[in-house]
Amino acid sequence: MSEVLLVSKDDLEIPVSYEAAIISPVLKGMLSGPFLEEHPIKIELKDIEPQVLAKVVEYLEYCSTYRNVGENDDIPEFDVPTEMSLELLLVADYLNI
Amino acid sequence: MYRGSNRAKSGQGENSEVRGPNSALTQFLKEQGINAESIRQKWLKSREKETKEVSTDVKEEEEDEDVSSSKYFTKGRRRAISDSSEENDEDDEDDDEEEDNNNADGNSLQTRRSVPRSDDRLKRFAIAEEDSDEEEYDEGMSSRTISETPVPAISQEQLELNLKKSKQQLMQRRRKKKRAAELLDRKIRRISTLQDVCISQISANISKLQQNTNSADDTIHSKIRETLGGISTQNMNKLARTLSKNRALNDHTLQLFLKTELRSLAFHDCSKLSYEGYKMLAIFAPHLSELSLQMCGQLNNEALLYIAEKLPNLDSLYLDGPFLINEYTWDIFFTRMGGRLKAFHVSNTHRFTNDSLRSLLEHCGNNLVSLRLSRLDDLTDYSIMPQYLKCPNFENLGLEHPAKEEYITDDILVATLKNIGSTLKHLSLNGCLAVTDTTIINLKDALSADAGTSVLESLELEELDQITSDGIVFLFSEVSMPNLKVCSFRRCLQLDDMAITEFFLNKAGKSIMTLSLNSLKALKGDCFDAMECPELKKLDIGFLGCANDVLIKKLGEQNAKLEILEVFGDNLVSGKAEIRSGLTVIGRQSDTL
Repeated sequence: MSEVLLVSKDDLEIPVSYEAAIISPVLKGMLSGPFLEEHPIKIELKDIEPQVLAKVVEYLEYCSTYRNVGENDDIPEFDVPTEMSLELLLVADYLNI
Repeated sequence: MYRGSNRAKSGQGENSEVRGPNSALTQFLKEQGINAESIRQKWLKSREKETKEVSTDVKEEEEDEDVSSSKYFTKGRRRAISDSSEENDEDDEDDDEEEDNNNADGNSLQTRRSVPRSDDRLKRFAIAEEDSDEEEYDEGMSSRTISETPVPAISQEQLELNLKKSKQQLMQRRRKKKRAAELLDRKIRRISTLQDVCISQISANISKLQQNTNSADDTIHSKIRETLGGISTQNMNKLARTLSKNRALNDHTLQLFLKTELRSLAFHDCSKLSYEGYKMLAIFAPHLSELSLQMCGQLNNEALLYIAEKLPNLDSLYLDGPFLINEYTWDIFFTRMGGRLKAFHVSNTHRFTNDSLRSLLEHCGNNLVSLRLSRLDDLTDYSIMPQYLKCPNFENLGLEHPAKEEYITDDILVATLKNIGSTLKHLSLNGCLAVTDTTIINLKDALSADAGTSVLESLELEELDQITSDGIVFLFSEVSMPNLKVCSFRRCLQLDDMAITEFFLNKAGKSIMTLSLNSLKALKGDCFDAMECPELKKLDIGFLGCANDVLIKKLGEQNAKLEILEVFGDNLVSGKAEIRSGLTVIGRQSDTL
């Protein structure tokens, strides 16, 4: 249960840690279903462009890294490229993150 | 002092920009490690030297007098002495190092007179060598002359250490400032959601586009709009909010929202929307049923009538600041909206008069379920309201800040609430200063729909300084309010612990989510013993004399879901308060710089 593969358009598989994936309530729902058999688990998100999905994964990892930092530690800004922002917003909306 | 400024130019120029709350000078002094103490020492040393010089003059002939000077070693002094020794002792090891100081030392003549004894000299060399890196440092900095007053001894390492320290301090301060700014923005999540990040990015780009406004922009906007077409209304309104917050909503950015499916739209700052913009909105968003235009100063008569005409589904209109709309237009507008206007809020205009209110109530009064009138300077006669407000589903009544307090009296309120109180969900009487316990006591009968239970969800009684604890105790002991989520007693100065205790004992205490007890100066703090609000998320206890660190801790423990606690003006709440994780305390003096 340590790694999950997210499959984007063009069948590109992007690995993400389980802890990071469950930050998204949608992915969490998918991962907690009773019909999970294959290993490693694959989640197909074939409407999403690979580079957008990669950014989403980057955000999820970023969240899981900085979620529990102390009060006085710095959290770097998460950078979103301008040209991707609209697509990313749609995906973020879908994944509820 | 002058020397220091030279140093800054050659070495640290890029660091001397003004940053944060410090002046450039303070910043610079700190970075250079110059403080009051070092200046004092410098002064003391120069004094010593002066006195010594005087004594040298006196005892000019005595060769041995300088022996005593060994205990006054300072850098410049030492250097001077080394010079003199160099003169006397040609094969000195220090020759090379000291060479360029030779000519520069304007003081050397005086010191040259004094020739130290050989063992003293050796000692001096030893010290001079220990300090050799400092000499190098000085040489490296510039070829300036050695000034008469010796500089406090700051070695390279010390300087670097100071620099590092001040940099760290700066970082820390910046972090603290950022945190304070976040606090003021009510940002409790430290990592913003990806959606928020994207929206801020989009907004930033839209404003950037605007700056290079030209005709080509239209295509970009339509492109953006196409892409935005798929996102939820919630995000659409979030984008509207972000744009408003950045003062970036204007006719250009408005185009983002001109899409046919949108049913509800709220603009919190329309100050830059022209009347043409409003007309476009009316044409291109025909399905709108709920429209909120705050600060709509440019909304004119024509545009308002256009809205009434082109938006057939519009039933809720919330306007703030429509001061261009005159009495005549209000009349036409209400006539046209007759039969379909269900919710109407208006505030901050002096052209909404008694006749306008009459027109509103005559044409739309029977259907109105939500009415809010706030800060209407020309409206003096509220007494016609009870006749017209009779809709059996009436939900939201807001009568706030009349031009003079006597315009909204107990009689008017009692009569109005008698008709509509039983179904009322939101009641706001902020700033109706004439309201007394009479209204509060009559609220009991008005609100209790079913066996002393009210459906009220929000109750705002801000600044009612005439209502007393007796009235509030009576109200909350007689009427159960199991749905109450928002309540504000802000600046109800006469309320004391009894009233608030009664509030917490009511069922409202179990459902309340947002509560303001700001400025209730009569509170001693006993009421918080009875407090246990499982749903409470936001609490304002600003300007309460009884608020202190202990209370903060207690509030955090008693209210499991409390997220935001405002303590502005509570000077007994210090940085030492124990705050449970998940709770954000805003407004502490110790959090600011």
